[in-house]
Amino acid sequence: MKLGGKSENVIIPVIAVLLAFLIGGVIIAALGSSPVDAVGYLVQGAFGSKTNVGATLVKVTPLIFTGLCACFAYRCGVFNLGGEGQFIVGAVTAVWVTVGWGFEGPLACVIALLLGAVAGGIWGAIPGLLKVFRGLNEMIVSIMLNYVATLFMGWVYTELLRDGSVPQTFPVPDASRLGRLMPGMRATWGLVIAVLIAVAIYYFLFNTSKGFQLRAVGLNATASRYQGFNVRRYVLLSFIVSGAIAGLGGAIELLGTQFRLMSGFALGFGFDGVAIALIAQLNPLATVLVAYFFAVLRTGATTMQVGSGVPTSVIDIIQALVIIFAVAGMAFVKLPGFKQLMLNRQRGKKEE
Amino acid sequence: MEEILRMEHITKRFGDVYANRNINFDVQRGEVHTLLGENGAGKSTLMNVLIGLYQPTEGNIYLHGKPVKIESPAQAVKLGIGMVHQHFMLVEAMTVFQNIILGDKREKGVFINTDKARKDILAISEKYGLDIQLDALITDISVGEQQRVEILKALYRDAELLILDEPTAALTDIEVEGLFEVIDRLKSEGKSIIFISHKMREVLHVSDRITILRAGETVCTLPIQETNGPELANLMIGRELVPSQYEKVEAGGEKVLVLQHVDYNKTRKHNGLNDVSLTIAKGEILGIAGVDGNGQSQLAELVTGVVTPDSGDVDLKGSKVFSFDPLAFIKQSVAHIPEDRNLQGLVGNMSVCDNIVLKRTNSKEFSSAGGWRLNKRAMKSYADAMKEKYDIRCASIEQETRNLSGGNQQKVILARELEGDPDLIVAVHPTRGLDIGATRFVHDSLIESREKGCGVLLISADFDEVLEMSDRILVMFEGEIMGEYSGKTPPIEQISLAMAGNKGVEE
Repeated sequence: MKLGGKSENVIIPVIAVLLAFLIGGVIIAALGSSPVDAVGYLVQGAFGSKTNVGATLVKVTPLIFTGLCACFAYRCGVFNLGGEGQFIVGAVTAVWVTVGWGFEGPLACVIALLLGAVAGGIWGAIPGLLKVFRGLNEMIVSIMLNYVATLFMGWVYTELLRDGSVPQTFPVPDASRLGRLMPGMRATWGLVIAVLIAVAIYYFLFNTSKGFQLRAVGLNATASRYQGFNVRRYVLLSFIVSGAIAGLGGAIELLGTQFRLMSGFALGFGFDGVAIALIAQLNPLATVLVAYFFAVLRTGATTMQVGSGVPTSVIDIIQALVIIFAVAGMAFVKLPGFKQLMLNRQRGKKEE
Repeated sequence: MEEILRMEHITKRFGDVYANRNINFDVQRGEVHTLLGENGAGKSTLMNVLIGLYQPTEGNIYLHGKPVKIESPAQAVKLGIGMVHQHFMLVEAMTVFQNIILGDKREKGVFINTDKARKDILAISEKYGLDIQLDALITDISVGEQQRVEILKALYRDAELLILDEPTAALTDIEVEGLFEVIDRLKSEGKSIIFISHKMREVLHVSDRITILRAGETVCTLPIQETNGPELANLMIGRELVPSQYEKVEAGGEKVLVLQHVDYNKTRKHNGLNDVSLTIAKGEILGIAGVDGNGQSQLAELVTGVVTPDSGDVDLKGSKVFSFDPLAFIKQSVAHIPEDRNLQGLVGNMSVCDNIVLKRTNSKEFSSAGGWRLNKRAMKSYADAMKEKYDIRCASIEQETRNLSGGNQQKVILARELEGDPDLIVAVHPTRGLDIGATRFVHDSLIESREKGCGVLLISADFDEVLEMSDRILVMFEGEIMGEYSGKTPPIEQISLAMAGNKGVEE
């Protein structure tokens, strides 16, 4: 399977990353540290030991889910910015099943995962339905629903399933947790599920008739309608599936990593997912790679701060720069002037 | 009489195309001078030159006898030229008053002298009988009143010369009467008006002089007393019958499509259908002639299932249609070459190959396991074969269609729509923007489909194309069918008149 298709789809993100690191290096130097050392610590933090590699893999799992969530909806031409809310309702559902239902074991885990996905799908269906039948802007509705989900989660961990004096839920019982990939490493089977889903989405989008039509709807809804495609159904479907992916991610994060809901759960995952999907040019497999890159930055940042004294916020800056450069780069190559230049160069080559 | 405006030898060239060529045009004080011409005759270009949107390639403009160079619409306003566009330029969420003073430069300070402005506007409104509600929102007032606001806006900026671009297009009959009264008042107060239209009745009613444009050139300027409808229609369309290179047939066979008394949005004169009845038989081309925007697009959308009629019956291949949905029509072998290739016909960011197989990826030919496994190899070899057959010039079938020329884009659509022997083809402006070679190819393909027994509905604003291709010709005007004419011996004069909205001449 080829990843991008066109070379610019790979080159632009790579240039964006390099440029971002260059500027990040300047900032680190301005802070009075050595950029080379800082990057050294960053790499060591992400890859230095089995534990560190495991930590990165733990961080990447939820990002893959929110990335795929954004990617799938965008492929159908709609903007689901509600990945975070859908992720949260998935996690809330999982906590409710494993803690609230009062039985333990792998079955509880599986039910929690499935219902987490269903809950995410329902949460995603709300902006979809409102868009399709009422013409409301899906971006605004899905963002607003993030707040609803966050506040609802707050009620769950402060009231409904509160564990003692601390505002957090009871932990998921050991027997109901996701299994680890190997002993001594915190990464769970959730990562495998994430990658499998990425592969499945890739297959669906590029190797099935439905996926083909969904992409056509995303690229030109009017022409798709003239071709007899049911545009509304695809839009709604993409929202539900997209929400379900995020919801499953939330359940996995809870059952595999966090075990409890508390304040700050999932904070920022939704928009990281959007950024990841955009940098990955909406390719599900590339989404996994970009999510991994983001996770490396995250785990490495802590070590960098301890080792070289460079604050972790520098990594936030670099991450933001990557997004800006990647998006700006794509916009730039779409400029007519640039296209003409490339065309002329191609012609020039042919004549030679 | 005092001359207000004179445009001399105006030429406007876009690349190699002349939109205006050596046009002479003048306006006297207190007269209505009409510009008459088909779509693309150069009326809009000429007016855009006058209001400073375009700079003429050659030629001069004189206002009150003095040469001027108009470099921007703002400058045109300063020189006393006011344009009322066909599509109004009003801010819908603002009030009438706010719209009128919007962007007015007479107040130099930061604050607006509201009281004075209101008084001035009301005075103008009184003087010209422009009845408006100053504090109503634009969204809440009728189209006719919006137009009065536009006129007032121009007059408030001291316009001496008003350009009314197709001013009656969106109005009801009563509103048209009201507009004509306003025009009379404006004339008597010494304002001059350029009236742009292609509706014979109105032109004859309102004009003092008429200048006819055709294919970017002035045909002639005539005083109203010296002319009549048929002459104007002839001058406007200006065609001799050229023998068609295709044989015209008379198909009496099985009917593919029958429309009976179909209405759609009929209260709208434009972009609606009013009591339309027509039939298309197997193996014939029915051409629809008419000026753009008289319901042709709606007719095409209706017979391809994109829109649902308000009333009336549509029979497809002998059975009544109940569900207006593109898929239902596609299943009945209706092919559609839509009027806007890029918006409706192609997914520009998908490849030539993908666009050719676009609606058939579900078929056994291109996928297995009920659509869950695309057969990409079959898609590619099919697309390659189509590329040869339809002579699609592209680097490879993997190229995105948005990068193709218009002609090749249209060939991609033909390859998709004409294959598989449709029973009905709905082709809307199928050669718009194409060069001669591609046009010929499209025409040959349509004729070939006709020979195979397919019924063709050809809708085109290009009158020559309709004459060339059609076995029968219908004329549409304001959503109505004005008459049916033979395609073998088309009575050009009658068709021209019908296109300009004159009904009674049908024999």
